[in-house]
Amino acid sequence: MIGDVFSWLSDPTHWQSTNFDTGIWGQLGAHLRYSAIALVIALVIALPLGLWIGHTNKATWIVSAANAIRALPSVGLLVLLVVIIAPHFYGRTDTGYVIPTEIVLVLLAIPSILSNTVAGVQNVDRAVRDAAYGMGMTGPQVLFRVETPNALPLIFSGFRSATLQVIATATIASYVTLGGLGRFIYDGLAQQDYPQMISGGLLVAALALILDLLLALLQRYTVSRGITGRTRRSDRAGHSDEAPDPRSAVLTEDLAPEAA
Amino acid sequence: MRTKLVALAAAATALTMGLSGCGSDSSSNSGSSSKGGTISSQMIFGGPPEFKTRTDGIPGLEKNYGVTFGKYTVTDTGGPVTVNALKRGQVDAVDLFTTDPAIKANDFVILEDPKANFAAQNIVPIVSKDKATAGVKTVLNGIQAKLTDDGLGTLIGQVQNDKKDPADVAKGWLTENGLDTTGTGAKGVTLTVGSANFPENVILAEIYAGALTAQGATVKTKLNIGSREKYYPALKAGSLDLFPEYTGTILQYIDKTATATSSDDVYAALGKALPANLVALDQAEAQDSDAVVVTKETADKYKLKTIADLAKKN
Amino acid sequence: MIPLDAASSSPWHFWGYFLDHRSQDLGYLWDHTWLSVVPVVVGLLLALPLGWLSRRYNWVYPPMMSITGLLYTIPSIALFVLIPPLLGLDPLSPLQVPIALSVYSVALLVRVVADGLGAVSPETLQAATAIGFKPLGRFFRVELPIAVPVITAGLRVAIVANVSIVTVAGTIGFDNLGRLFDEGFKLSTDTPYYPPIILGIILCVLLALVLDGLVLLVNRLLTPWRRAVPT
Repeated sequence: MIGDVFSWLSDPTHWQSTNFDTGIWGQLGAHLRYSAIALVIALVIALPLGLWIGHTNKATWIVSAANAIRALPSVGLLVLLVVIIAPHFYGRTDTGYVIPTEIVLVLLAIPSILSNTVAGVQNVDRAVRDAAYGMGMTGPQVLFRVETPNALPLIFSGFRSATLQVIATATIASYVTLGGLGRFIYDGLAQQDYPQMISGGLLVAALALILDLLLALLQRYTVSRGITGRTRRSDRAGHSDEAPDPRSAVLTEDLAPEAA
Repeated sequence: MRTKLVALAAAATALTMGLSGCGSDSSSNSGSSSKGGTISSQMIFGGPPEFKTRTDGIPGLEKNYGVTFGKYTVTDTGGPVTVNALKRGQVDAVDLFTTDPAIKANDFVILEDPKANFAAQNIVPIVSKDKATAGVKTVLNGIQAKLTDDGLGTLIGQVQNDKKDPADVAKGWLTENGLDTTGTGAKGVTLTVGSANFPENVILAEIYAGALTAQGATVKTKLNIGSREKYYPALKAGSLDLFPEYTGTILQYIDKTATATSSDDVYAALGKALPANLVALDQAEAQDSDAVVVTKETADKYKLKTIADLAKKN
Repeated sequence: MIPLDAASSSPWHFWGYFLDHRSQDLGYLWDHTWLSVVPVVVGLLLALPLGWLSRRYNWVYPPMMSITGLLYTIPSIALFVLIPPLLGLDPLSPLQVPIALSVYSVALLVRVVADGLGAVSPETLQAATAIGFKPLGRFFRVELPIAVPVITAGLRVAIVANVSIVTVAGTIGFDNLGRLFDEGFKLSTDTPYYPPIILGIILCVLLALVLDGLVLLVNRLLTPWRRAVPT
């Protein structure tokens, strides 16, 4: 079986698209396109909102509401939106399936970005914030020049976990007939072509791991060193603050009221 | 709420179009790249993933009729996605099942298949041999004799359009055909009836189960089992005893090299191909086979009657 | 062709749909429940020794966290289809779903257990040793109970995530509440057929809430001292 998978993946005809068939590169492009659109929309909505909520401490219920969305089964939501929206589109277009998918992906991405942004801003040391005001900074200046850079590690963690969720769920878009790497999984299953199905699984897993790695690297080089404390190897006990993991950020946030 | 949704949708559309501008699929009707310029080469075909690779799917259409489509869009297995895609112009030709009530309801046209690319698909109950007592056989063969294409179409319509429960639909059909008489014909037999997960198959399983129960059998049902890869092994191993099947598909599943196409040939071949512990009872006149289906407008526009017409030059 | 009352497609008809298909829906609910719960229990049983190891030996911690982090990064549908070839199972083995979910639970809980154990203060540990606890006894009777609240929080995340991930297995043909979405999708000819879809969403959310509540309840029972001291 492993050998079959390898030969499926190493067959160049499976990578190139023809008029009739979409290859791996084509489906990868579609997968990334759906994911990127959703992440951009989610960022545009959640980032300013999160900064505002964190800074003003107003309307914190929005964070709880967004987190409640996580309990919704994404497959169910996707099917629901597809049966509502898809029949309204005519002609040679898959827009009727793209829109529901994007809505679900955006809804999935918002909670992580939003709650991490809020938590990031709120966690900024009181003394740091007071010092900024004391230096005569205005509210917006404090937000953009002090709070935001300080919150960046957590915001980044939120974005990373949002990206992972979006990549994973974009795979399920193939269940409602769209393209993307999930196509190989669902097609392989239907065609009893298990090497294709397993290759699809490998490709999706590889995509998620590579993107996570790239984001981790990006995070390393964009977040100020003064904040990460990576100036020298600090003692091991501090590891959980030192290397914010996408999940632990969410987790520790959840743990906060519990452990207190 | 609704306006918000529309606004979101509009934003998403705008973005999608902006970002996917380069890959717009709608360019396929520019005939520049069409090889030979046949009608089918400018068409998008919609069907389930497996139709793309099945021997009687796209490869069969090419081999038997020289028909090659411009593009293949994966929809679903003869379900609403396929019907919608054809109806709303996302695709030009699709693979649907001949019993689908949506064909009549939407004035779709089934293209004739003179070269029998699609094998016969008569409905046939597959039973484990040790449960196939004379009484069970009589009950099931009695049902088989009454199953017709039209009758089947009506039953599916009741489930698919009127959203009736398959069990109730089955009960109604049995009463209508005088097959719900109670008796002791199948007394003492305990069996489990299975079905695949599409309405027609569930109705058939419910019909079998209902009639056998009326005749005194102890019946359990295990309906809506995902794929043949799951239920066929269960049938073979004896955890399922009875399953409504289609002669052509089950033959193809057991014997990948099978070539029979006519009802009788397929039925005979199936009898030989089945493992020793399974037996096929009478095949019904009712068939549910794949068909290449187009809209009436398309059929009129290109004067299509048979699948072969798709290979004509435009 | 006139739709019967009992066959309404309205979203509010989900309850009627449930009553009409009670045995099937309860079957799906049961499958969904055990698929959500058992992997978390298995995950916890595996995570306890692994978490303890990563806490006991400092050099274990970083690689352990990297490996579990990587596992958690793999999308669920990919893990479902990758498990059978990796373990030499049949491509459609019904075991692949609980195994994949257990992998996720372990991946999530190892970190939680390790961090929970790490939160036990050195003073407490010294005190426990001083009054005569052996390492094993100290672990089960002092460290673990103190870590319960933190582990509970992790369990809540794992179990709620599982409820949602299980529906993904429904899309590749495994029985659970996800099948209701498939059902609704298949019957949405022309106009949407809401009842099974809405019912599926409602049952999933309810199941998540109930399981979450159960975890909280167990947490309460296991940590009586937290109620004794007014905070």
